[in-house]
Amino acid sequence: MTINLEILDSAYVYAPKEIEELNTKELVPKMVVRRRLTRAAKIAIYLADKVSFTNGRIIYGSSFGELSATANILNSIYSKEPISPTHFQNSVYNTAVSYLSMLSGNTNEIMTISSGDYTSLNILKSGAIKSLDGDTILLIATETLNINKIEEVNKCIDFLECGVALKVRMTKEEATICFDAKNDEIKTPESLSHMLNIARNTHTNKPNIIKVTL
Amino acid sequence: MKIKNKVFITATSSISCAGNDDSTLFTNICNGNSGIQQDKNYFFESQPAIGKLCTNSKFYDVLISQCQNILEQSRLDNFKDTILIIGSSVGGMQSTEDIFFETQSYKNIDPDFHHINAIANILNEKFDFYDDISFSTACTSSANAIGYAYEVLSKGIYKKALVVGADSLSKITVGGFLSLGVLSSEPCKPFDISREGMNVAEAIACLLLENTPSNDAVEVCGVGYSSDAYHMTHPHQEGKGAIAAMSQALSSASIEARQIDYINAHGTGTIANDNSEANAIATLFQDKPYVSSSKSITGHTLGAAGALEAIISCMVIKEQKCPQNTFLDTPENVNLNLPLTSKEVGINYVLSNSFAFGGNNCSLVFGRCK
Repeated sequence: MTINLEILDSAYVYAPKEIEELNTKELVPKMVVRRRLTRAAKIAIYLADKVSFTNGRIIYGSSFGELSATANILNSIYSKEPISPTHFQNSVYNTAVSYLSMLSGNTNEIMTISSGDYTSLNILKSGAIKSLDGDTILLIATETLNINKIEEVNKCIDFLECGVALKVRMTKEEATICFDAKNDEIKTPESLSHMLNIARNTHTNKPNIIKVTL
Repeated sequence: MKIKNKVFITATSSISCAGNDDSTLFTNICNGNSGIQQDKNYFFESQPAIGKLCTNSKFYDVLISQCQNILEQSRLDNFKDTILIIGSSVGGMQSTEDIFFETQSYKNIDPDFHHINAIANILNEKFDFYDDISFSTACTSSANAIGYAYEVLSKGIYKKALVVGADSLSKITVGGFLSLGVLSSEPCKPFDISREGMNVAEAIACLLLENTPSNDAVEVCGVGYSSDAYHMTHPHQEGKGAIAAMSQALSSASIEARQIDYINAHGTGTIANDNSEANAIATLFQDKPYVSSSKSITGHTLGAAGALEAIISCMVIKEQKCPQNTFLDTPENVNLNLPLTSKEVGINYVLSNSFAFGGNNCSLVFGRCK
């Protein structure tokens, strides 16, 4: 079975270590909230703003989740230091998109997928299935791998912070762009490759439609 | 989307601190035999009451045997036309911890067996699935997995779905909840005025969903999702998000609130959750269906809770028996119908609630096959 999705808007960011211009001060004016945000949350908030999405269903995904918060807790336990409650509450995989929902007052269904290298492909598949209900859906994927000693496990990713967002809705029109995760030469995380490939191949001034095979 | 096929739960299998099979689990819930015990193995300085699996087998071996149980119960020879839908909040964290604390290094951690997808990777090595997807929304993970299974089967996208809710205990989860100050040192007392907190626990719960019923199938009638958009760890005091999820589940099932006979509450035993959930139920259900929480017996099995409590909901319908609220003495909210003893009653519809960090809410409606 296949479902075609129209990409209404898209945005992506990536950096070798830390993405610098996420516009967080402007997007999250309250410092008390801003200082609790994880890197993934800041990227998600930035991307949602870039594609002008404030309300509606969101499907978010990350293969490794909130790695920094998790590493902080592991190191606290190892060092027999108290675990930070903020690190713990920020360690769940749906942290980034939860902050996004709070800041935009979005009370809709918000899902988080984590399917390893196929995370963004599965976001596309579930987005396509849910889009059959007729609404516009935001698909977001992030990875934030810039933690101390990441080189001990990272052998193949050059860009440790990445994020991509696609605003989509179902269409019956023919596909206009193909996506292939293997086409990209830049070494971003595999988990984002399908959605990044789409975002990087969208055209301005003509419909961008993909075919999602289930 | 106009297609709305019926969806049935045709096989289930579970293991938790309250029993190594569904029947034992339900008997213990109805008889008030808790599997929660104090434990000092995680943190010597405190002894929270937690729920551990009663088995000498490794977690992943138990995981495989639970799925094997489903295959044996079902009419299937294999899972080749079945999508695997995982719900887990920690994935392979237990093995990551073991390696890190032994070596003080990330070097020997295999990323494929660290993240949430570790569960699917283990099962894909043993079984052949049509496809797989993993959800991780903290304590609603496997409830959302069931919701997704319901959606894809009712829309006719896939033929069968195996939902697996699985979470093992780790120092991060026990220590993390300790840091929030919400762990009880005794089996929890959901909805009691003197409740002192929750019990973290581990479990594996598997459900096979199909469009065709088996002899003792239970129907999945509807699902409702919502977000509180309020606070990372505290639900809205009036339960606005919970009301939205439950209302949508009823609407999805095309039934009225008065038709719900029993609610399996999220009921963690924390001050914040129980207060919010009780307010939400009292607001929405004027006809006062029976309400109970099974977490005083099973503990809060985190990402596995939605799937485990779906199995409990199936048992409620199959046995036509409403479980008691074990350890409940004085209800804080007098507007709820909280049975103190298990009752054999007529039950057509059950609603099961799951709520999570980030204000993620999922309610499921199950029904007796007609």
